[in-house]
Amino acid sequence: MRAQRSRQLQGWFFIGPALLFVAVFVLVPLAQLVFTSLTDRSLLGGGRFIGVDNYLRIWRDASFWRALTFTAKYTIVLTPILMGLGYALALLTFDNTPLKRLTRTIVFVPVIIGLSSSSLLWYWLLDEQVGLFNKLLVDLHVLKEPIVWFVSADLAFWAVVISITWKVVGFGLVLFVSGIQSINSDIIEAAIMDGAGYWSRVRLIIVPLTRRILLLTTLVSAIGSMLAFDQFYIMTSGAPRGQTFTAVYWIYQNSFVSFKLGYSSALSVVLTLVILVLAALQIALTVRSEAA
Amino acid sequence: MNKRSTCAALAALLMGTAAFASSAFADNLTMWVRASGTNAAAHLVDLWNSTHSDKIELTTIPDTQMVTKLATGVQANEVPDLVSFDLIYMPDFMKAGFLEDLTAELKADPNFASVAKAYVDIATYQGKLYGAGFTPDVSILVWNKDLFKQAGLDPDKPPRTIAEIHEDAKKIRALGPDIYGFYFSGACPGCNIFTTSPMMVAAGSKILPANGNDDALTGDGVKQVLEQFKEMWNEGLIPKNAQADSGANFASVFKSGKIGIQGTGGFLLAELKHDVPNMNFGVTFLPGAKEGQASSFVGGDVVAIPKGSKHLAIAKAFIAWELTDEAQLEGLAKNNILPSRPALADNKYFATDPRVVVTAKAIGVGYVPWVYHFADMVNSDSSPWINMLQRAIFDGDVDGAITEARQKMKDIASE
Repeated sequence: MRAQRSRQLQGWFFIGPALLFVAVFVLVPLAQLVFTSLTDRSLLGGGRFIGVDNYLRIWRDASFWRALTFTAKYTIVLTPILMGLGYALALLTFDNTPLKRLTRTIVFVPVIIGLSSSSLLWYWLLDEQVGLFNKLLVDLHVLKEPIVWFVSADLAFWAVVISITWKVVGFGLVLFVSGIQSINSDIIEAAIMDGAGYWSRVRLIIVPLTRRILLLTTLVSAIGSMLAFDQFYIMTSGAPRGQTFTAVYWIYQNSFVSFKLGYSSALSVVLTLVILVLAALQIALTVRSEAA
Repeated sequence: MNKRSTCAALAALLMGTAAFASSAFADNLTMWVRASGTNAAAHLVDLWNSTHSDKIELTTIPDTQMVTKLATGVQANEVPDLVSFDLIYMPDFMKAGFLEDLTAELKADPNFASVAKAYVDIATYQGKLYGAGFTPDVSILVWNKDLFKQAGLDPDKPPRTIAEIHEDAKKIRALGPDIYGFYFSGACPGCNIFTTSPMMVAAGSKILPANGNDDALTGDGVKQVLEQFKEMWNEGLIPKNAQADSGANFASVFKSGKIGIQGTGGFLLAELKHDVPNMNFGVTFLPGAKEGQASSFVGGDVVAIPKGSKHLAIAKAFIAWELTDEAQLEGLAKNNILPSRPALADNKYFATDPRVVVTAKAIGVGYVPWVYHFADMVNSDSSPWINMLQRAIFDGDVDGAITEARQKMKDIASE
């Protein structure tokens, strides 16, 4: 009995620092966020308790729902592109030959550039007058004349998708390569001996054995996309007419432009819940498919 | 000889002690300045530091973080001794009680009497003064004299009305496929309140409501300007990328030499002279609908003392000093920066370039709206102001755009 209690204490001792860290840096701020969301506090100070008024206001805030829908569309479009392209590149480059190592390095380099810097870089690359991307498309006869990318919501959306794909695809590539390389080579060799072709090996061995890393990367990527801000702030500024506001951008607008700290806290709580639900759903679906 | 040496040594010792005592009692003040005002503020602070025993240490804060930083600083009692920020936030800060009352000092200061009215107005709250003009900027109209000449226009005769801008722009556009008559940053709310709203104000309009009971976008000027801009857009007198320009090209396009006329800020003069020294351009006031009407938007920074400043007396002395002829001329004008006292526009440093004098005088005819929620009504990327401009100019629905913006501005002012 005493030994069991001692082991329990030892356990608490080991996880204590982590628990304290989570409590101080996650739970307390989260509780403060929820409390602020129940007030009409301004960034300039003041504020009183107003109950759930902010949440009722969110219900009527068409701009927030439009921003959330836009964010969901961005996530739904971008995630498969990043995962598909990243996985395809991983399949092409997972061998450790010098050329494939070099290819992986080149694809990974944009990941280490700051998101703001890369967004600014792409903003100028896509410029109608001096942008190299437009010139490339015109020279390749894809376009007749340079286009103004940020003049319509659809074009601006694709401009951001292109820039983020360039920026982030290397992240998935590296994770997928590590997943593929961790597969025991005996399994692959046995499959080859049994006459399995390349696509059979990919479909029946490589993909199933890297499913966990695929799930993790998809989850991280989807959550990242749901929290998108920098790229839209720099490249589109929400234009035209607020059609490219993401959910986080709308929260930023309310906090730091309109000074409505209480309301933006309520928006943050709602966004956190939406992401939590989506992440839980994604994990549950994957676990169920694994069990089947 | 020995006696003389001893006396000299004693004198040196005394002087050294006095200097040490002076520096020992001197204070070091801190000052926050927003990034876009740093250059001008640094000239003033350097001049102060070179002539005063109390030194000021300047800290640059990114423009977009100034409000947050000051708001949290005041609430946590961690503030600088002085702060220089975008004058447009003055009403919000005064109302929130962030700033020290400077009424007694400023009203007693003879230099303050000649400070541009716009700076006095924006720093007044319930009859009290909370700050002074510091590093001004002002909007103006620039025109490319070479293109005017090529288009058969008189290069020394700038457009005097909005309709004349339109007429001149047509002639300049005819010069070639990549030459445009006019430019404005169509997706930049801040650039347009700076350069487009003064044309409306000059034509007799008021733009923003002071409170929920006040009307927004009154008078015919708003419609007259929007109609002219819409027509210039439809006629292709403005480059296509203007529609998506959120301000990134605001300063650079005119430098290309392919734009005939543009509303801009006084800051562009120094840039043009430095970057394109051979460009022949003129500067005038932003016009209204009729000849003789003119206005500008007075921008730039004000200087104030946050509540909780640890060196209140010296901070007040600095504000009094920055309004003196010495600071205005040797700190600002000498470095090609406009003084906040329009009477000093004609000075020895500006004498060589009449364009700078015109710019400095624009401060005297300028306006600045005294409103709460300015960022919400104007600067926000989804503000009623920018939505109105885009809907009216690019979609062509001028009346619908004005009606919608009028209501939304009123709603914001009521909050």
